[in-house]
Amino acid sequence: MRHAQFLARTVMVQNNNVEEACRLLNRVLGKEEIFDQFRRTRFYEKPFQVRRRVNFEKCKAIYNEDMNRKIQFVLRKNRTEPFPGCS
Amino acid sequence: MLIKTTLLTVLQHAKSLVRPPIALALPSKIHTSASLKKAEDRKEMLASLPAKDEGTTGEKSVDIDTLINRKAKFFPDADTASQLFNGIPFNELPICNIRVSPNNTIISVSDYKGVPRLIRSCGIEGFKNTRKGTNIAAQATAVTISAKAVELGWKTVRVKVQGLGPGRMSAIKGLQMGGLNIVSITDNTPVSWNPPRPRKQRSL
Repeated sequence: MRHAQFLARTVMVQNNNVEEACRLLNRVLGKEEIFDQFRRTRFYEKPFQVRRRVNFEKCKAIYNEDMNRKIQFVLRKNRTEPFPGCS
Repeated sequence: MLIKTTLLTVLQHAKSLVRPPIALALPSKIHTSASLKKAEDRKEMLASLPAKDEGTTGEKSVDIDTLINRKAKFFPDADTASQLFNGIPFNELPICNIRVSPNNTIISVSDYKGVPRLIRSCGIEGFKNTRKGTNIAAQATAVTISAKAVELGWKTVRVKVQGLGPGRMSAIKGLQMGGLNIVSITDNTPVSWNPPRPRKQRSL
């Protein structure tokens, strides 16, 4: 399905600040992995390369999940206001 | 008997003394890893090169949550189409299409229906061969085309960008430097999740 022109993937420029708008657009597209997919489909990715990439991504996701859990565990707080003076 | 054994041991010792140079000389005679080494050197060289500019600054930054606190309206909604910019509704503003590739940048300006009026590329601008695919070439092209667009009376435009390349950011900046008022930036890069089979990989 085609998306509406000038509604999808669009950023409005505020106060003539073009660079900020560009950066925001790039950041959103990078986060949504649109640029990654674009770069990946420039050339044919052989099946062994797909397997290697997918396996690597799986390992990375597991590592990140575990590491986040550890960080949350170390940073846990047991007081009514967790970070006094920071709000 | 004793002398014989001692002689033998001495001989063996001498042999073992002689052997190492031969053993050292052997690997250089058999060429096994020369081609592999070449590939490794190439990889090292490519890794040490600076990353190629693709006009995607801010792609990897992570401060997206700061947007929530901001009052400014960054994204269009249903009312944006009829919103007035310089007396013209948003969906009747002329469109500036920028097509970026690693080797060239093509900029065209069309009216709101999509009929092209002006077209200019880095090649037309006078940059030839590898110089076409630089951010400076893209900026120069953008400046000249925006001057022509202003002559036509089109001062407020929407920008549509397609593709990745060094000209992506600098072309937009050049349009602004040339005197155009940019209202919005749209990304129109064709991305598919089930594309036809692309061409084979370049051998590096």
